Formats: sequence, structure tokens, C-alpha cells
Amino acid sequence: MKYGIKRAIKYLLGTDIAGRNLAVYPDDTFIVSYPRSGNTWTRFLVGNLISPDQPATFANIERLVPDAEAQSSRYLKRVPRPRVIKSHQYFDHRYPRVIYIVRDPRDVALSYYNFQRKYRQIEDGFDLTRYVSDFVGGRLSSSGWGTWGENVGSWIAARGGQTGFLLLRYEDMIADTPRELAKVAAFFGIAAPPQRLATAIERSSADHMRQLEKTQGGEWVSTKNKRDDIPFIGAASPGTWKAKLPESSVAEVESAWAPLMTRLGYELMNPPPGDARTARVVRDAAPHPVAAKGPSE
Amino acid sequence: MIARIIAGTRQLLELHHPGRNLVVFPDDVFIVSYPKSGNTWTRFLIANLVHPEEPANFANINRIIPDPEALSKRELGRLPRPRYIKSHQYFDPRYQKIVYVVRDPRDVALSQYHFHRKRRLIDDDYPKEKFVTLFVAGETSVYGSWGENVASWVATRHGRPGFLLLRYEDMMENAMREMAEVASFLGIAVTPERLARVVELSSADEMRKLEAAQAHMWSSTKDTRQDVPFVRAAKSGGWRAELPESAIAELETAWAPLMQWLSYELSLAKAPANDSRVLQATLEAPRR
Repeated sequence: MKYGIKRAIKYLLGTDIAGRNLAVYPDDTFIVSYPRSGNTWTRFLVGNLISPDQPATFANIERLVPDAEAQSSRYLKRVPRPRVIKSHQYFDHRYPRVIYIVRDPRDVALSYYNFQRKYRQIEDGFDLTRYVSDFVGGRLSSSGWGTWGENVGSWIAARGGQTGFLLLRYEDMIADTPRELAKVAAFFGIAAPPQRLATAIERSSADHMRQLEKTQGGEWVSTKNKRDDIPFIGAASPGTWKAKLPESSVAEVESAWAPLMTRLGYELMNPPPGDARTARVVRDAAPHPVAAKGPSE
Repeated sequence: MIARIIAGTRQLLELHHPGRNLVVFPDDVFIVSYPKSGNTWTRFLIANLVHPEEPANFANINRIIPDPEALSKRELGRLPRPRYIKSHQYFDPRYQKIVYVVRDPRDVALSQYHFHRKRRLIDDDYPKEKFVTLFVAGETSVYGSWGENVASWVATRHGRPGFLLLRYEDMMENAMREMAEVASFLGIAVTPERLARVVELSSADEMRKLEAAQAHMWSSTKDTRQDVPFVRAAKSGGWRAELPESAIAELETAWAPLMQWLSYELSLAKAPANDSRVLQATLEAPRR
């Protein structure tokens, strides 16, 4: 009841975190991903692309591309329109335009592990194998956004291939940032000559963001009062799981989401037993379904 | 501001209808479907299965299998557990045990058209083509489009424990068989006699009789037109006679792969190319 009163008063004053109850406007664009999938990087890229006169930093990013998971209903209502909003929500039919970023769940699990250490939610020596089991089984705090497979699957199944939905792979963004950012510019209907893209990319580079984190980490809603011996900006390189994730954990992630991973071009270390159907999924997916398909799926 | 004060006070007293913000318990069972897909029939069937001592009717159904859109947070919090809850929501990760009912979207569109007439949202002569265009865009419902709703559940939960997919058409064809599956999913031991009784108590005829007597007592039918029934034809394939060809084509073009996976035969000569590869990955597995 005490909790109920607190929440009702917050609601009354509009200071409740917007989250899933965000009031959506028809001209909103959302940057959506599961946590630890390159969302902050994409926010910087988009912020720098849209407002070249105002380089994105951790001090202004909540104004440029506000976070529905960290800002209040009242704050978000006052953001000038059209808004570009960051979100980790699983499918929400009200979101009119969505850039969805997906990342290899083996890297996501590992990144989330370090993130929860930073947030003091787990100890440094927390058993990684157990952690990955909880990640797959939806027993971590992130499961409020569904499991990785539920979050990704719900969006792509409901919106994949439709206008107003742009699917990006984090790995493609790393491999060829200008190409992927050009897709984003086209999605926003922004003319983006190579120089404008290059500037936006430079202002959002991992090195630059690390510099900014060092000086501004204490001010940003997502990093303040967290351990500063563990960086928010992680390795920013795909495939870290190969060296750091136990084999059994790799197998566990793959067995939970094999069809989805295969379709997204994430090669499996443990392909499921070779029945005809599985073989076909793997063959059809080669070499790279998403990149081959182009911007709109 | 005043609206917010009223809403805030209602929240404080837990008098608001939680809808999607329902507080979910781990032992909740959900009966989920897109609107007009046989949800009320399934509610009656399951209510009669779980509580043979109290036949379901429109006066008690909101107590036996409550609707979070129609009851207050306070009422929902006081129900005995495990709760059986009705829902039209698209994917919600908190739902752990789900009976999902799916119905041919061509019949769903038609049924919703008549339901909108009943609720005085459209006039009797509203063009069906126009309605279907809005239906395909998801603009006739707050639960997403038919395709979004079905796909969001199927892609995330089908083939995993805690998810039972039922087709309305299979239920029509053999309600006993489908209810036997529901009973085993819910861990309820039943005899054929008990199943037969459950089906009989929930028949369209029985429900029409109850509607005639109790429509004014039920949240979904009170204050609606009484000359348009809630329990309507209760058959499948009505779209063949009642939907214009262009509307059928529009529905099939929008959702061909999903419809085919659900064994809803397309009337178009050629199915359009599937452009949702990931959905197709899910759909490559056979349905049963």
C-alpha cells in the first residue's frame, strides 16, 4: 500500500518513469534494442546525424534522444517534436517508426554480465555459467524486457519487412558504419552527404565515447553512482564471446534461439542435430540474409 | 491536470482497470486471443471445465475468468489463485501459462465489423472494404493488428512449454478433442462425460439464451445495441459470402505466410512472396 501511494503520487505529478506507459505520438521514432546491443552508440550516431550543430555527449543525450526507460512521463512530454526516443521494450504496437538493433546474443550475455557488475547487481566472481543460464531462462532483471529471443522475435515477427521498421545488426554497424548510417539517414529522410556521415561517425566513435564517459560518467543517468572501475562503453567489438564464454554456455544460448540466430546470420558453433528441416534453415540463410536483403527488413 | 488527479486518485484506491498493467502472478493462466476470435466461448469452456459446480454465465464469468479491462486492480488482486484471466494482449513476457486462440483473420474482420456496429462505432451501411483496410492497418483495435498480435505470440512462445495454440476452427469441428488438450495442458483429469457437459454448457445455443437474459449485466454487452447479438453466427467461413473480393485480397496479401502456417487456405491464385524471413524461420517448424 505504501508503494501504491508513492506510485500514485508520482503518477499524479508526472514524475513516474515512462517505460511502457510512455504516451506515444504519431510522429515519434524509436531506437529499440535489447539492452547491451549497441543502443547507446546508435543514439549518439542518430543524435550527431540529426543535430550536427550540437555534438552528442553524455550531458545532452537525454535531450537529443531521451531514454524512455530513465526519464519521467512529464520530461518526455516536453521534449520537442518530432521526438527520437530510446527504448528497450519488446513489441509495442503503438510505436509508429522503429529502428531495431540486434546483436549476437552470445556477446549480449557477456556484455550484460559486465554491466550488472558495474551496477553492483552481481559480484565480480559471479559464476558466468549460471549467469548465462539465468539470461537464457529470463531470470535476470533484464527479463522485464523479455528474454533476448522474445524481444527480438516479437519485433521482427510483428514488423519485419514492413515500412517504418529498420532492422540493423550491431555487427554490420561495426563492419561498415557509413553504409549502415546511410540507411538510418534514408529512414529519417535526411540527405546525408559522405562528409556529414563521417562527422557523425567520428563524434560517436568508441574512443570518443570513452573520453566522454571519463569526464561525464558522473552526470549521466545511466552511469552515475555506478562502479567507475568498469566502463559503460565495453570492448565495442563483436565476437568477444569466442574467447570468454564457456562452451557449455555457448551451447545453451544456441539451443534456446537457434532458428532466430541462424536467420540473423549468427553462425552456430553447435548446429542442431542435422534433420532435413534444420539443414534447410542453415542453407537458406547463407551467406547473410539480412545484409543481402537490404535496408527495409 | 484534473484528469491526472482523478486518474491518480483512482490508482491510489486501486479502482482503475489495469488492462495491460495487470500485476501478474507466476501461477496465472491466461486465455489470450485477438478480439473476436472465440475468446468468450473459450472462457465459458474453461470456466465450465475448472468449475463444474458453477455453470458459467454472463453474470459470473467476470468473477470466474476475469477481464483486466473490466475489473479494478483491487478486485483482481483479491481473486483466489491460481487465477484464470482473459486477455487480448499481444506478447507480454510476464505471461507464463497461455492458451492462445487463433481464428481465420477473414472471419475475425467480419466479426469485428458486426461488433463495431453493435457498439455503435460504425453505421450499418459502413463499407466493408473501408473497414477491412483499417483492420489490416491495426486501426480498429488497441491490441495491434491481427498479424502483429498472432505473430508476436507465435514467434516468441510456440513450441515452448506453457503455450497451447488452439484454432477456433478446430474447436468448432471437434470441441471435445480440443478441450481434452486444454484439460491436459491445465493438468485437470477429466472423463469424457465431464467434457461433454462442459461443451454442452458452453454451446452457442446455450450462450445465446444466456445473452438474451443477461446481456445488460455483462461489461462487454451492456449499453450496446441489443438488436445486434454478441454471440453471432459461431461458424467459420462466413467471410466467403459476406466479404467483398477486394477485402479478401487485402487480408491475404497482408498475412499470407502466417495464414498458410495456420492452415487457412488462401483464395488468391498465388500467395505473395514472404518478406518476413525471421517469422518464416519460426514458421518452418510444423505447427503440431
